Order: sequence, then structure tokens, then C-alpha cells
Amino acid sequence: MATISINNIARAIYESSKNKDEVELDTVMKNAVDIISKKHLLSKSKEIINQLQIISDKNEGVIRAKISSKVKLEQKIVNEIEDFIKKRYQAKNTVLDFEIDDKLLGGIKIEIGDEIIDTTLKNRIKKLQNYLITK
Amino acid sequence: MTKNYIVENLKKQIESFKDEAKAEKVGHVIEVFDGIAKISGLSDIKASEMVSFPNGEKGVALNLEEDSVGVIILGDFTKIREGDEVKATGQILSVPVSDLQIGRVLNALGNPIDGKGAIKTDKSNPIEKVAPGVITRLSVNQAVQTGIKAIDALIPIGRGQRELIIGDRQTGKTAIAIDAILNQKGQDMICVYVSIGQKDSKLRKLQTRLEEGGAMDYTIIVSAGSSESAALSYIAPYTGVSIAEFFMDQGKDVLIIYDDLSKHAVAYREISLLLRRPPGREAFPGDVFYLHSRLLERACRRNKEYGGGSITALPIIETQSGDVSAYIPTNVISITDGQIFLETDLFYKGIRPAVNVGLSVSRVGSSAQIKAMKKVSGTLKLDLAQFRELEAFSQFGSDLDEGTKNQLERGKRAVEVLKQPQYAPVKTEDQVVTLYALTKGFMDDIAIDQIKSFEEGLTEYARRNAKTFYKEVIETKIWTDAGEQELVKAIAEFKQSIQK
Repeated sequence: MATISINNIARAIYESSKNKDEVELDTVMKNAVDIISKKHLLSKSKEIINQLQIISDKNEGVIRAKISSKVKLEQKIVNEIEDFIKKRYQAKNTVLDFEIDDKLLGGIKIEIGDEIIDTTLKNRIKKLQNYLITK
Repeated sequence: MTKNYIVENLKKQIESFKDEAKAEKVGHVIEVFDGIAKISGLSDIKASEMVSFPNGEKGVALNLEEDSVGVIILGDFTKIREGDEVKATGQILSVPVSDLQIGRVLNALGNPIDGKGAIKTDKSNPIEKVAPGVITRLSVNQAVQTGIKAIDALIPIGRGQRELIIGDRQTGKTAIAIDAILNQKGQDMICVYVSIGQKDSKLRKLQTRLEEGGAMDYTIIVSAGSSESAALSYIAPYTGVSIAEFFMDQGKDVLIIYDDLSKHAVAYREISLLLRRPPGREAFPGDVFYLHSRLLERACRRNKEYGGGSITALPIIETQSGDVSAYIPTNVISITDGQIFLETDLFYKGIRPAVNVGLSVSRVGSSAQIKAMKKVSGTLKLDLAQFRELEAFSQFGSDLDEGTKNQLERGKRAVEVLKQPQYAPVKTEDQVVTLYALTKGFMDDIAIDQIKSFEEGLTEYARRNAKTFYKEVIETKIWTDAGEQELVKAIAEFKQSIQK
């Protein structure tokens, strides 16, 4: 028998809990935990929850982005970034996570899933370095 | 050279640097081991796409799984750590190609390793390319002269052909390949020698040998040594053929030697097992046939409308104690257009090159042979076949009739004539003269131990005294009656002169 992947379990939980009321949801959750423990996957529960988050985000049109910068961003820029993300990924909602990182020297870095838009000074200096070496 | 000049120059360079912010797909290393990395993320990556690691190392995505990507690392994997950011490049791995690569020794990524400085080029070819289609091809009709009598006469190789050299260890497989390269001098051929998993000392010896023979003027060596990772051994032949294609695209003829594909298959097996692909026969993965067929299909002869040029491939396979029915040998035998069998027994009997003429074939090469050679070698094949049959039979007794005895004697001389020392290629015209003398029976009254010196003397004498014959063979590829008479006379004269 093929092994059940984390992705499979997360998808199953999401599908079975869709459009359910509170009482039903309780049973679904109980069953889900039962299955996970039966398959000896409790140790992977963190990953399952992560995967569940990704699946539900995808279906609900939520985009999670991590934004790193050297200084705290102004509200105006934050709004601009949010609009940009909504437009680029056709998202209904965005969840932005801000991080302050001194090492970036300047500029911002946006991480969405496995995509990165890096406009930081650190990255650009590195690119310039590569360019001058290969030239 | 002032400080200002350097600063100005640097300024200019920096000004010409353009940087655009763009979205990049990244993943993170989950685990690294034995030249393999497992990477999360990289959701849109394609098969055999190149990825880059933070320290500049490159990798190739081979396994695309549900939540991870299996990557082979081309280079040093010890500096790659768990959690490192990996970027997808959106490109298939490509190698630099240039005319300046001729005479150089390159690694599997196409970079020079001979310490003669960098090769500046802005051109590159992807290492994986679909082989030329039917419409662009031309059938093989022009010969590759290897300078080895046994091969040029009996197992002729044409331009665009794939001829396997197969045999046990220490039977002279590489020697044949090297002789073939040495003989390409002045034949308008570029040679690419791909060394896969060989000892560096052997490669060095080979390079020196080629330099001494003046062959490095038209030869490129691509090497993935045995101290390097299996990933590099795996891509080296593809690198070699990509470089060869660069020259074929210029309409040139290229000879490429893969030394050897058994080690290539072993390297691929190692990678596949580490990537947890299911093992099949002899633990090779299921696609090991495709591994070699897609490589060897890229050898071809293209027609004029598509630019001409050709790639002739001489793959080498090492067998274990003569077992040609193992997995890889049978695969490659069925892919190629013929094979040259080398045997340990023959080698130790002193028959060198140790070609087993009976088992070796060339499926397309005969149409590439020049007419003169065809004429002399046709009867030779028959002579040898009959000789082999009689040889076994005649060991039982000495009561043989005259005809059988003659056949035996002729066969012994044929075997003697086909012996040839290493690094001593023979010109086609000389081969024709020698084989003519043999098949027409002019050597029947020469003692066997005198054959070698007779052959040398004869070609030298004929070169001076049968000029018409030589001219005809070189120019029209066949002799006329007048030329033949002249040669017969020259042979008779020479025989008289040595009998005195």
C-alpha cells in the first residue's frame, strides 16, 4: 500500500470540514485526530497543520507574505505593498508578516510561498559583485 | 596604469550594471548527502532544470516529487548546508562552447582544467538536446580513416556512424581510440575525447601522447575523473556531445569518443539509487537504455540543406571476463551501428590490435569504404573466415590436401598483415597496396616472420615505383588496369630485389 503523505491527510481534513456546522466539525476533528494517531503520524502534526493552512489559504484566496526591511515601514508603503500583492496574485485577502532585519542594509524583501522578490541593498550589492567578477 | 585609471574603469563597469527586481522561485535544502540534495519549495521547477546554491554551486533537478525536489549537485557538496536558499534558474544546464576550446582539457562543466587560463566565450549549448530528426539526416557515405588495417579494411567506420569498441580490461580499447584520433591529422576532423571516471594519471599520459603526435591541434578532452562526483561523470558525455554539436553546426566533421560508457552507467546507477529510484536489472534504473540511446542518437550525419557536418561516435564499453550478454553491453550493442570486439586471448597471442574479426561488424560502414579498399578487402574477409574454420580443424592432423594447406598459409599471412603496433597508423593507399599483395597471393612465398618487414619495404618501394597506382587510389579511389599492371610489376621487382 502506498504511504499516505502529509499532503493527502491535510487535504482530506480540509475537504471533510468544508461547509460544516459546529457540531459536525467536532466529529470531523475527532475522526481526523483518530486517523492521525492510528497511522502513527502524531509526530508530524505540525507539518499537517502547516499544510492545512496552505490548502485553506489557497482555496480561500488568502496570500501570506513575509516582508523584511531594515526599518519599520510606513503605513503608506504597507498599503502599496498590499495592493501590489493583491493584484499580482489575484488574492482576496492578504496576511502580512513584518520583520526587521539590520543585515539587509536597505530596501525590502517580500517572500510569498516559495517566491521571493528581493530589492534589498544587500542583494543588489551581491549581484553587482557577481557581475564584476564574471565581466 | 594609475590608480585613477582603475577607478575610472571600475566606475564605467558599475555604470553598465543593470539590476531589475524580479520575482525568483526559491526553495530550501531539507537534506544533503553524497552529492544529492533534497529541496522543499521550488513549486514550478521543470525536469532537468538548473538550480543554484548560495555558494555558487550548480545543481540539476532530477526528481520532482510531491513536496520536494531531488537535485544532483555539480561540484563540492560539502559546503551546502541544511536550510540553504536554493534558486531556480529557469534554464537547462548548458556548457560554454567556443573554437578556443580546441587543444584544451575541460571538466564536465566545460571549464578548462589544464592551467592554460580561462576561455572567453559568450556562447553556450544546453547539454540535453533532442537528436536531429529524420529529415535533416543523410546516410553514411564517407569514411573515417582510423589508420588501423583491421578496422579500415574489415570493419569500416563512416562519418556519422556509431561504432562500439567493446572488450575486457587491458585489451587495447583506448589504444584504438587514440590511434583513430592520431590518424585524423590533416583529415579535417575535430576530435572530442570524453574521459569518464578514468584515473587522472591515465588521462595525463593520454594527453601527452596526443600532444607528441600533434593531435591536440584538433582535439578537445572533456574529463570527469574518478575523484569527482558521480553527477559530473553522469553529465560529462552530454557536455562532450554539446561541444561536438557546436562544431557540427559549423559544418565540420567531428569524432567523439566516450571512454567509457560502462562507468557512465555506473555513475548514473549511483545517482539513481541515491535518489531512491527503484533499481532494476543489475540494480540499474529503468531508464538506463534511454540514458545511452539519447546520447548516441545525437551522433549523425546531416545533409547539406541543414548545414552538413557530422558527429561520429566511438563509445567504449568494458566487459567483465568477456561477458557481452550483461545488461549495459547488450544495450549499447543494440543502439550502435556495429561493434569492434577485442579479446584477451588474441591480445596475449600477440595479435594486436586484438580485434576478433568474426564477431566484429559494421552495419553501415561498408557504404563509406572507398572502392579500392572494398575490392581488396572483400576476398580478405572470406580468406579469414575460411582460415578460422580450418585452423581449428587442422589441429587434429597434418594430412591435408594442397588446397587446404594453401588456405591455411594464406590465412596465417592475413593475420600477420593485420597486426599493427600502437601509434603507427597506416595510410589508406599503403593499406590498399599491402592488402592487394596479400589477397592476390604475392605474399604466399614469403616466410611468416618476414611478413612485417616485407610489408614495410613493399609500401616504401611501391610509393616510389607505382606512382600512377597511388595517384589513382588517392584521387579517384579506384585503380585502372594500367595502374594495376604498374603495381604488379613493382611488387615483382621488389620481391626480386629482396631475394638477391
